[in-house]
Amino acid sequence: MPAGLDNLKHIVVLMMENRSFDHMLGSLSSVNQQIDGINAGLSNPDTTGAAVAPQPLAQFQGQLDPDPDHHFPAVDLQIFGGDTSAGRQPNMQGFVKSYFNQQQDVGHSQKIMYYFTQNQLPVLTTLATEFAVFNRWFASIPGPTICNRAFAHYGTSFGQVGMNVFYVMEPYKSIYERMVAAGHTAKIYYYDTTSSTMEVVNLLQNEPQLFGTYQQFLSDCSSGNLPDYSFVEPNYSDHDGDEGEEVANDQHPDHNVQAGERFIASVYNAIKQNANLWQSTALLVVYDEHGGIYDHVPPPNCSPNAPDGFVASPNDTGLPFSFAFDRLGVRVPAILISPWVPKGLVVDGRIFEHASIPATVTKFFLGSYAQRTAREAAADTFADLVSLDVMRQDCPDFG
Amino acid sequence: MTKITLPPMPANATNQDRPVNGLLKAQILHLHEAERRLPLRHHTDIYINAIKTEGEAARYIRRVTEAIHDAHAEAAAKRARGKGKRKAVIDIAAVADEGPSKKGKKKGKVSL
Repeated sequence: MPAGLDNLKHIVVLMMENRSFDHMLGSLSSVNQQIDGINAGLSNPDTTGAAVAPQPLAQFQGQLDPDPDHHFPAVDLQIFGGDTSAGRQPNMQGFVKSYFNQQQDVGHSQKIMYYFTQNQLPVLTTLATEFAVFNRWFASIPGPTICNRAFAHYGTSFGQVGMNVFYVMEPYKSIYERMVAAGHTAKIYYYDTTSSTMEVVNLLQNEPQLFGTYQQFLSDCSSGNLPDYSFVEPNYSDHDGDEGEEVANDQHPDHNVQAGERFIASVYNAIKQNANLWQSTALLVVYDEHGGIYDHVPPPNCSPNAPDGFVASPNDTGLPFSFAFDRLGVRVPAILISPWVPKGLVVDGRIFEHASIPATVTKFFLGSYAQRTAREAAADTFADLVSLDVMRQDCPDFG
Repeated sequence: MTKITLPPMPANATNQDRPVNGLLKAQILHLHEAERRLPLRHHTDIYINAIKTEGEAARYIRRVTEAIHDAHAEAAAKRARGKGKRKAVIDIAAVADEGPSKKGKKKGKVSL
């Protein structure tokens, strides 16, 4: 076992909101060709038939308004370009068409192809180039937030492909309950009481001891009391806090992307500033789904040998067909951070999704665990990327 | 070791009058579902269909989150008291007679 893995005691996951890989990290292909980002020849047709290429014109706020549609039918259009035939293949040609449907404005619809330059996102792009960036981390479902976040907590969405309340079904347990039952510690840190959590009914109502605020996260980092596993949620709304106005930092359109940059840096700094914690922690920064924004990599099928075990009916999908959870959602940014991760590692040739989160935490802390979906059991895990034998001393600081 | 300068805190980034996005709408509905399961005395008097802005959403979300915590704290305190003192049969019967919420009943409030 490498020394890095031997030292690993904490896993922290920060899940941001609604941005695609190409939109946030696509520019990095010009820095490192191993990173599968924006390249020449990519385009989407607009509704006049003209080819629209990705352009580095993304703005921090005010550009993706209205919020691009990312419910199941819209994502189906984005992935398949409007092809509904039986033998269809994903071609990622429907993003502009999908955004056009919201405002009927050709010029505005082209903004869905815009991406950020490296300089615009110094925090995320530095982390991606200094640590491990995943070329193939996909949302678990071609759909919106709630069902995708469910995969991070439970390894399944219990058949949901939308934003509805879902109910946990036996025998499946959340990763937090699994950890606590085995004598480990685990917590979801939401930003504050006013932002609260997206894991409302099934955990907040039943297990409030599994929750903390971001202030508690900072305090737990500083005092060395971080749980074995932590899941951090950003601030989902502009609101009045106890010490003045709080700005939404989840990066969900149309919230400010720079506020999210600062939040990501804050989580990183909180871990790094405690030397003991820094050398024993792996931080995963990942986005829940693409938010309707362009990415060029077609999502793969899920392994037929690892069914989720649920089927969403046409009533649920909003389309004339059912969905057997046999295809992943659109690719999202994902970065694994640790001083034991090789600098500039590009994780390629392996497929990850949000079920990889409970799969990794379970494998690392609990070992074998039977009461989970075949989908989660088959998901690739990422702890092996903490692979160095000598701890790096060259990791960046943000200030 | 590289020192990366953080982007400035964006001026005018906040707008509590921004219409609620789909995510916050879903969160409100989920919290409303949670609120319905609370004892009546912990219910808010906020009509969720009237929530239109981020600021209004935030205020509702805070109220229900706090109510959930209060309800759990109350239940935990009750459990702790129960552990410290073995109740007489007559006390248990009296608690059972209390019903879910006298306060809620007085107001005639029903869950939505």
